[in-house]
Amino acid sequence: MSSYHGKVDSLGLSFFGSMTASISHEIKNSLAIINENAGLLGDLVALSEKGRPLDPERMKTIADSIRRRVQNADDIVRRLNRFAHSANQPVVSAGIRDILACTIVLSERLATMKGVSLALADGDEIEVQTLPFVIENLLWICLKNIFLLAETGQQVVLDARREASDIVVTLRCTPEIPVKQLESSVAAEGQPLIFFLRVQAQADPDGSSLHLRMPIRFIE
Amino acid sequence: MPVSVLLVDDDEEFLAILAERLTIRGLEVTTAASGRAALDLFGTAWFKVVVLDLQMPDMDGLEVLERLVALNPVQQIIVLTGHATVTKGVRAMKLGAADLLEKPVDIRELVEKIKSAAASAPAVPAENRAGRSPYSPQEAPRPGLLRTLRGLFAGGE
Repeated sequence: MSSYHGKVDSLGLSFFGSMTASISHEIKNSLAIINENAGLLGDLVALSEKGRPLDPERMKTIADSIRRRVQNADDIVRRLNRFAHSANQPVVSAGIRDILACTIVLSERLATMKGVSLALADGDEIEVQTLPFVIENLLWICLKNIFLLAETGQQVVLDARREASDIVVTLRCTPEIPVKQLESSVAAEGQPLIFFLRVQAQADPDGSSLHLRMPIRFIE
Repeated sequence: MPVSVLLVDDDEEFLAILAERLTIRGLEVTTAASGRAALDLFGTAWFKVVVLDLQMPDMDGLEVLERLVALNPVQQIIVLTGHATVTKGVRAMKLGAADLLEKPVDIRELVEKIKSAAASAPAVPAENRAGRSPYSPQEAPRPGLLRTLRGLFAGGE
């Protein structure tokens, strides 16, 4: 393995670690709510044995909450499974909007912690031949650096369009942030990925956007 | 007199259910759904024990912890978090947390820790409650925290 591939792998491992840590935190939160609901059911039953009547509506609310949180935890585990599989995927044909949507879902908790909201712009799906995990990694580096520059209330809209044989992914920031600074930090941190995917990362100060231009077909 | 507890967590559903369960167990519970709300409440009321989540959107739990300890260096604070890293656990300890528990928590253990923290809290004169205390953060008692950290991190992070 070349040292260059080693750097790509090393960034990938770091990304994988950050995401799985975040996801495990989400699972823990769901388990905590399920645990408290189960405990509350036990408390209410114990109180009923001492003469306090059980309220069927209350029982229903607790059961609904448990069901909702189990569903939530199941969604999180599905997301984790999909993400884990993407790490060992070869070059595949995938929709770029699907990749952007996955990145948003993966980053959402960390974005919320920073007071940043993420959204995907409407648009038609575009098929690309790529390594989804590596693109998600690069997008995560972009988002992480936006979080460092953002204030609470920051919005980031991700979009993609086709330009000839390229795909251009845009991260539009509202309110504006210093995107030239963002371009430099992404170039520094994501350099091995940028080189690997043949990406041109360019700030558009007027639109407060960062553009990632890459070939629609990845060729190693 | 019931032990007064300020429960701080950004998950409002978790907050409501845990508050109800602690109330059933005889504690006097006030809730805050953000770090900022906790600090606001802290300025107006006196709590024997604070149970604090570490990861909240508006303000990092460690920052809240630091500010609470700055307001009252002998405040008993139990950190209750979904996932504590070694770094955060040690930092919480250095900042003066009395104990650290991971979610999901056993209610009996939590109540025991709250009562133990409340029993360790030195009597603070009313005039010192919202201002500087004669105690330094290092003197604030931290029963069981080192033991808890060893248990939590026994298998690595």
